[in-house]
Parts: sequence; structure tokens; C-alpha cells
Amino acid sequence: MRMLAVFEKSERIRHIGHLDIQRAVQRGLRRSGLPVAYSQGFNPHILVTFASALSTGACGKREIMDVTMAEDVSAAEFIERMNRAMPGEMQISEARAVDGKHPSLPGLLRAARYDLLIRDPAQAEKLISAIPSMMARKTVPAMRKTKTAMKETDIRPLILSIRGEGHHIQATLTLTEREACKPGMLMEALAREAGIQEEIRVLARREALLGQDEDGRMIPLEQL
Amino acid sequence: MNNNEKLEKILEKVQKAPRYTGGEMNTDIKGWDECPLHFGFCFPDTYEVGMSHLGLKILYGLINREAWSLCERFFMPWTDMIEQMKEEGLPLLSIESRRPMSDFDVVGFTLQYEMSYSNILAMLEMGGVPVLGSDRGETDPIVVAGGPCAYNPEPLADFIDAFMIGDGEDVMGELNRVILERKEKGLSRAECLRALSELEGVYVPSLYDVEYLPDGRIASVTPRCPEAKASVKRRVVVDLNDTYYPEEIPVPYTEVVFDRIMLEIMRGCTRGCRFCQAGMLYRPVRERSMEKLIDLAEKLEKATGYEEISLSSLSSGDYSCLPELIRELMRRMKDKRVSISLPSLRIDSVLKESLEETQQVRKTSLTFAPEAGTQRLRDVINKGVTEEDLLEKVRDAFEGGWNSVKLYFMDGLPTETDADLEGIGDLARKVVSEYFKVPKDQRARGLRVTVSASTFVPKPFTPFQWAAQDTIDEIQRKQGVLRHALNVKGVTFNWHEPYLSFLEACFARGDRRLGKVLHQAYRKGCILDGWSETFRFDAWMDAFRECGLDPAFYANRVREKDEILPWDHIDSGITKQFLWHEKEKSEQALTTRDCRQGCNGCGLQRWKGVCAYADAGRV
Repeated sequence: MRMLAVFEKSERIRHIGHLDIQRAVQRGLRRSGLPVAYSQGFNPHILVTFASALSTGACGKREIMDVTMAEDVSAAEFIERMNRAMPGEMQISEARAVDGKHPSLPGLLRAARYDLLIRDPAQAEKLISAIPSMMARKTVPAMRKTKTAMKETDIRPLILSIRGEGHHIQATLTLTEREACKPGMLMEALAREAGIQEEIRVLARREALLGQDEDGRMIPLEQL
Repeated sequence: MNNNEKLEKILEKVQKAPRYTGGEMNTDIKGWDECPLHFGFCFPDTYEVGMSHLGLKILYGLINREAWSLCERFFMPWTDMIEQMKEEGLPLLSIESRRPMSDFDVVGFTLQYEMSYSNILAMLEMGGVPVLGSDRGETDPIVVAGGPCAYNPEPLADFIDAFMIGDGEDVMGELNRVILERKEKGLSRAECLRALSELEGVYVPSLYDVEYLPDGRIASVTPRCPEAKASVKRRVVVDLNDTYYPEEIPVPYTEVVFDRIMLEIMRGCTRGCRFCQAGMLYRPVRERSMEKLIDLAEKLEKATGYEEISLSSLSSGDYSCLPELIRELMRRMKDKRVSISLPSLRIDSVLKESLEETQQVRKTSLTFAPEAGTQRLRDVINKGVTEEDLLEKVRDAFEGGWNSVKLYFMDGLPTETDADLEGIGDLARKVVSEYFKVPKDQRARGLRVTVSASTFVPKPFTPFQWAAQDTIDEIQRKQGVLRHALNVKGVTFNWHEPYLSFLEACFARGDRRLGKVLHQAYRKGCILDGWSETFRFDAWMDAFRECGLDPAFYANRVREKDEILPWDHIDSGITKQFLWHEKEKSEQALTTRDCRQGCNGCGLQRWKGVCAYADAGRV
């Protein structure tokens, strides 16, 4: 049995990197005393994976962990015991038990919805008014960091939706194992469109991880 | 922008932001308004170093356990953070509730290392607390300090209002109560300091006058009021089993230097190595019972989720039932996949059996500290270890499948000659040959022998407190001899430039006048001196010159028997007579037995029922 659990990475700890978040979850699972499964081999570790790594500097409202259990437990018990064992900054809001054959989460992931808070109100106004013209373009280039170099990518097809309101920009961006538009890439393109040279301070919050149901609709990944 | 917004802005620009953000497991913020007393625990080095420190975890838990007191942490920010804080006008904030240091009632620094002193000045100033005690007013926090370096408090006398000498567990609460009483009764700062001075183990330097002879030595130290004792006796915790030990500790998100459960199995050491200040200051040896330790280990494992437990003490191999303890811990922790490590193995005390048990879980490198290269010099420093002992243990380790050995030495020890340095090379060569004596199919591949030599720093309350440190030139020459002697295949040699050790020697045995040098060096921008990338030796030397003081007076001068030492009015438990006797024996290369073989009369026998080995009848 596996448990898919939705957890928060709070604003306070947004500078913690993914590896450290993984370790914090591993230790939380150990503290909880829940019957988790361990890998075989010389250095056994808890079998827990994540739907997607969240960038250092970004917080997440609904991140998803996938824990392989050694014995069945109810979702309610999982949540209750984990929330006592996890710091206040990483609480679990929902959990769902699935069987071992459930597809792996990264393979199901299609997109992520972000809320981007622009700290400077004047910049926010400029950026938001540049959205329509950017979206009218056939191609929107942005630099993507690969393992070895920076590579130019056309992000226009990867922006699934975008709208601005107040100091916030809400965007749904493609996120799969093969291709992704990171919030930073979107901001780079939008800043160019708005003619902003200065550094833009943004608080990126990932609000949901999305998959596609049988009818092709984007729904929260944990519900698939 | 408020402080929190400023901090959030800055965090986007600095390296290693998680150092400053908090929110770790087991650091839940207590209600500020519900607790009448607010204690700011300050570690004068970076987060990674501070969060590895056991004392922080003990006192953090101890203060927060009381309903009436709250403890939050402060660490020394890195230089990039300091620059940003200055630019934004952001004071140094506590990790937990992000309040400036000036909001706290008590600010307490732990003094682990002399070269962290400039960080204390920096943290006070950034925290909005006047750096000099004499500039502090009625609304400023009381600034206190404790830890091993507090035994010679004098170089910090201008900056610290009160020092806690000795074990902190009991005196911490007593000190906080006095400060709370001040707050409730509206006592003045001066009244509060006098009241603190009445507590056993508390030293308030502003209540003493120090006079100097024309040559710079001390003429007299005189208490200025009846509350100030002529001799301040250190605190001793009698029974570790009755003493507070945390059952849950903060778990950092990021990796810190010691990222594991530290189980203090005992305090103190019976060996009597003459260079070792900790061995003198933490006397007498006190063990925690096996039952208590196992109970603590299980509670801490549950509360932290850590995968590793290290047994911590000055000499873990001397714990009276070590094999039983290790076996029992392993039995209970195996299913939880927790490994047990022994960090400070002494070369003559580890049973082969327990070596094998350690490696059952994880094989780490073995560390030995012969300290000196010849038997003569090991006798001088009373390091009761022979070459045969060492080689036997190394052979056992190699036969047991280990391939990595670390050897620690010191250079610049009293009476040292080049022959002693050559002896380090010989020893390293013999260790290598022990490895090759093990048949090829029975030994692990890839031999690694690492030899590290640190420069000897004479410390207060040791038999070498009267000794001169070698000059920088002489140390550099000796390091050249060592480099040559250790040019051995399979051996890596590590050493450090002697400048930091020279400065450490000045402050370790410094007097009150060094406060001016410290303040001047800080004004010149000296901070984070313990880090090679930020250490500025020339600025320190300028500061000495500008204050009209000679660093060699402190580091390279032999003290005579009758000299009043700056720390003579602190009673560490060890008597000056005992130390002088030990010094004389060392000059003849005569060893002193381990306390377990009979009391040597170091002075701790004056405390009733504290030392298990003190023989009441004889000294």
C-alpha cells in the first residue's frame, strides 16, 4: 500500500532546498512511528518519493509525497501521526491510500499552478499589463537551465493559462518529466515584454500539482 | 518595512539563507507575553557550528522547560548577511520570533573558543545592545557568558556583565530568577549585578579592581563590594543522573557539523593529560548510568528521527561499562536503523569486541591522538599511551577491515626538540607497515593515514599555564621539519599556519587590558576570526600596537611561580599548587597516574562527595 499525502512547504522555510525537504520528510516519517517500508540493500532508506522537486526559494501549498507502507494504515491515522511528527512549517492537509500498482506521480504530472506575488507594486502593474501582448506572440523565448548549460526554449506553448490581479500573477505552467516552464522563465520573458531591466522580487508559491483525467481535464494530481 | 519584511527581502540575496530562517522541528515558539523572562542564547559563530553544540541544546531545553522563562537562539551571521543587514538597517534578530537582541532580558553567550570573541562584540552591536558593559542602561539586557573560556573571563571583562563558571545546569535557573526578580521589583542594574555576584559560581568583573606592576604583570585584584567574593568557586553538578538532559532537541533542516543525537555518557576525564584544559576544567569524572542513557537515547530517537547516535565525552573509552552500553544500544536501535558512533576513541581503552560491533552498522575512520611523537614527550604531557598500545590498536583495526586512520599530534609542546618531531614521522611509518602486514585478502583496500598537527596553545588551569608558546618563526620552522618527516607514501599531513594559534594564546591567558585590543580590532573590522577566509592577522597586530600592548608578553613569556595570573581569583576546583607540582614533574618527564588508580589530590577532593576517586584521607 502507498500513501499519497499533500503537504505544505511554508513561506518561512522556502529557502530550504529539495534534498533537505526530502530528509525532513524522512525524519518526520521516522518520528511518526508509522509502519513505513524500507529499501533493501546495504544502506536501507524509507521508500518515499515526491511528485516534483520544488525550487529553493519557492513555497508550496500542496506538494505531494508518495510513501510506501509496510502495513496498511488509514489516511486519517497517517495525517494525525505525521502532523504530530512534522514541524509546523510542513503540515499535511490530505492523504489518500492507493494500492501498489498506482502509477508513479512524476509520470502523471502535467502542470503546476503558481501564484506569483510581485513585491514592487509599480513593477506588478507593468508586468500584468504586458501579459496580453506576450501571449499574442507566436513564440516566447526563455533561458532554461540544463545540467550543463543554459538553453533557449520557447515557453509560449508551455503557458497554459495566465492572469494578473493586484500584485499577483496566477499562471498554470507545463511541468512534466520532459519539459517544464519554471516561474523564473516566465518572469524573465514577461519582464522583457514589459521593458523592465531591474531585478524583480517575486514570491513564488506553487498552489497545485496537476494531472490529466480521462477527459483531458486538468485535475489535482493526488485525485487521479 | 518592518523587521520581518526586511529580513525576507535580504534572505533572497544571501548565501545559505536557511541559517537565518528557523522553523526547525522542536523549536516551537513560546508565547512571548506568557513568559515573564526572555533569554537570548547567543552562539558566537555560524548556525552550522552552533547547532552542533551540545551545551546549546541542554540550556535551550532547560530554560524553555520552565513556564516562566523562554529561550530563543542567536547566531553570528556570515559577512554577506552582515552587509545586507547594514544596508537595510536590520538589527540582529532571534531565530524563533525574530526579535532584536535588545528586546531580551538576558543575553547569554557561550564561550567555546577564544577566537570567537570578536563575534560577541559584533553580535551585541548588531543586536542593539551597547558593546561595553559600562555603557549599558537600565533598559538594556544583562549580558552573561559561560563555557570553558569563562574560566579566564578577564579579556571579556569590559563586555560581559556576569560570567557563570563551571557546569551550567544549576546556576542557569538561579541566574534567571535573580534577573526576573529585578524585573518584577524594579531593581536597578547595579543592584541586580551585585545580587548575581552573590550566587555561587557567578563572577561580575565590574565589581573588581585590577592593579598592574610597571612591567605589565598584575599587582592585585581586589573586590570592590562585600557581595564580590575574593575567590569565585566554580559550579559542579554532582550527579548527572539527576541533572537535566533534553529529551527533545532541535533538528535543523540543513546539514550541520554534528548532525546527530549526542549522548553525553560522562563528564570529566581521569587521565590528567597536562596540555588538556578540558581535562582539568571538567573534573571530576561523572558518569551517567546505563539505564538513564538508554532511556534518553530512546526518547531522543523518537523526538528527532535522527539516524545516528554518538556517545559524547572527553574519553568515551573510559566509561565503566562501555561494551555493555554499546551492545544494549545496538540491540535496541538495530530495528530502527540507527547507527552508534564513538567519536573520541582513546587508543588504550577500546575493546576489540566493541570495535567489531561498531562496524556492524557503519564503518567510519578510526581516530587516535598520541599527541606527541616520542615516549619522552608523551611522558612530559602525561599522555599515558605507548607506541605498542597504538600499533596494537591499529593492527586490530586493520585486521577488522578498517582502512582509514587519523592521527592527531601537537607541535610546540614544552621541552619539544626536533627528535620528537622526527618521532611523529617514525610513528606514521610504523602505522603504514602494520597495514601491509595484514595479508592482502584479509585487509580492506585503499589505506588512508591522515596525520594532523596543531600548534600547542598553553591554557589557564593546566600545568602548562606558566609556559611560553613557541614564537611564530619557531613554529614555522618546526612545521618544515614535520613536512619533511611525514613525506611518507600513504600518509597525508595536515597543518595550519600558526598565526591564529598565536592570537589564541594571547587571549587564552590574557588580562583585562586585552579588552581594549579586542575592541580596537573589532573597530578595524575583525570578525569571524576562526575562519581562514575572514581572519586578518595584520589588523590584530595593528590593534595591539595602537593599544600599546605586546602580544608576545601574553603568548611567548614564561611566568614565574609567584606571578599573580589574571585568572587566579577564579577557583576552577584544581589548586594552583597541584598544577605547579604537575609542571615540575613534567619537566622531569615524570608521569602522574590516572585518578582511577588513586587520588592525586588535584583539589576537587575539597568538594564533598563529588569525586568518586578522591580519597578523603590523603592528598
